[in-house]
Amino acid sequence: MTAPLLDLRSVSRHFGGLRAVDDVSFTVSDGEIISIIGPNGAGKTTLFNLLTGQLAPTSGSILYLGKDIGSLKPHHRARLGFGRTFQISQTMMSMTVLENAMVGAFLHISAVREAAEKAESKLELVGLAEHAGRRSGELTLGGRRRLEVARALAMEPRLVLLDEVMAGLNQTEVNDVLTLVEKLNAAGTTFLVIEHNLKVVRAFSKRVLVLNRGQLLAQGSADQVLSDATVIEAYIGKQQL
Amino acid sequence: MSNPDLSLDQLHAASRRGRVPTLVNELPRLLGILVLLVGLVLLFIGDSFSLNVLATAFLFAGLATAWNIIGGLGGQFSLGHSVFFAIGAYMTANLILGYKLSPWLALLPSMTLGAVVAALVSWPVFRLRGPFFAIATMALTEVALALAMYFESVTGGAQGLSVPFKAGLTNMIFRDRMSYAFLMLGFLAVALLIFAAIRHSRLGYALQAVRDNEETAEAAGIDVLRTKLVGMAISAALMAAGGCLYLMYVRVVDPPSLFSLFDVGVKVALIALIGGIGTTYGPLLGALLIVPLENYLRAELGGAIPGSNLLALGFILMLTALYLRRGIVGAILKLRDRSWRILR
Repeated sequence: MTAPLLDLRSVSRHFGGLRAVDDVSFTVSDGEIISIIGPNGAGKTTLFNLLTGQLAPTSGSILYLGKDIGSLKPHHRARLGFGRTFQISQTMMSMTVLENAMVGAFLHISAVREAAEKAESKLELVGLAEHAGRRSGELTLGGRRRLEVARALAMEPRLVLLDEVMAGLNQTEVNDVLTLVEKLNAAGTTFLVIEHNLKVVRAFSKRVLVLNRGQLLAQGSADQVLSDATVIEAYIGKQQL
Repeated sequence: MSNPDLSLDQLHAASRRGRVPTLVNELPRLLGILVLLVGLVLLFIGDSFSLNVLATAFLFAGLATAWNIIGGLGGQFSLGHSVFFAIGAYMTANLILGYKLSPWLALLPSMTLGAVVAALVSWPVFRLRGPFFAIATMALTEVALALAMYFESVTGGAQGLSVPFKAGLTNMIFRDRMSYAFLMLGFLAVALLIFAAIRHSRLGYALQAVRDNEETAEAAGIDVLRTKLVGMAISAALMAAGGCLYLMYVRVVDPPSLFSLFDVGVKVALIALIGGIGTTYGPLLGALLIVPLENYLRAELGGAIPGSNLLALGFILMLTALYLRRGIVGAILKLRDRSWRILR
């Protein structure tokens, strides 16, 4: 059997005395859509930052296709096939929408025209094509989130990490993104998604990971996990008898 | 999304779709501007005072354009570019005085040394961001000044180095001011061409992405440090070429004239800022405004109250910072956008 796409072994990240991510182990197989849920401050975004290299783990190892990538910088990991969006939407504000997407396309393309064509096709996928010439700062929050998805997709990633990409989107937009993720997943892209909207979580991921206080509390199908007593306790507290 | 303007918006976008400006689109405009500048030089035939101002303006336009590569596109607000300018001047002087080399041949080694030194000193400084980076580059200038004073055998110390007057094209020394105006215009043309080429290339997009958001740039696969270093090296190589030409123009260089902050390091940043930081023609506009103004102020005010010319320039900079955040070019673009909206 070949190595899984991602293999986390006892990964921890401490900030001083705070164990933001504490001894987390799990694997991701090629072609999965995995949701990561958990209360605020559970370490979800820190986990993402460890995966894409914005942070280095304090201990433990992260294997990508069997190779330890724990010490690689974000741009190296991008070249390996990691694409991501940020929780606090991060676009290049002074550049146009098209140029933002082009920055992603340049990962594998050096010709400007070709990069622009690829960028445009991704903007069409997320429904931003008609705004291509606008400055990204002029977009609504939902627009900026979709732009981040377009930029990540223009990198033709193997694994996409979406950090609360649905937040601030209206119902139609949420459905559009859902359809898009499913379509791309069918074409072979693996997704790791931080998501608060449990309806969305149920809709598309077969496997859900629950983080709480940096630890992996539970994993399994959405129904399994959401009926788990420890998970309910983490979210709404212990029942007082 | 039931905006009645949407169809118009869509039409507007559709007309733009698939059209990314490339270097080829930029060349006609660049050529047109250069022709205008040639005309400007010809307008002042025989007026050596004005030709001197023009030559200086073109030189500084070229230098500010070089600065604009890393300072404007890359967003790294260097105030230490005089170091690379001085390297070009000293390297050329040494090659002429020591090896009787033609300044034309000294250009390449000067630019190479400028680029190498830039990459080496920037490596640690690029860890700093924003104002801290700017302050560190100012400190570099002071270190370079001290070194230039100390290593007399290379720089001539406080006395400086002078190149003997031997007129001729191979010596890059001319009797008339007009030749210098064209020499500097040639430098400006090369600088503008290189800037435009970078701006419309993968490197240009990477530099702008790094300027706008380093974290996102990294996540998109851009090697941030390498991008900054390459931008800095190209920028510094052009500064060194400018230093070489400056030496051939004034034929004497000494540490105060090369390193005193306002003379080069801060001035090129200021010119780019006033003209329009990050834009292709902003530095040119800035130089055409500031250099003649500075000459005038120095002649009119500097004699009466020493330093008052600097005071006036500082005031202009403050006004620009307050009211023209994106410089003259930014203001023009804004006006154009507004009138476009009204016309539509």
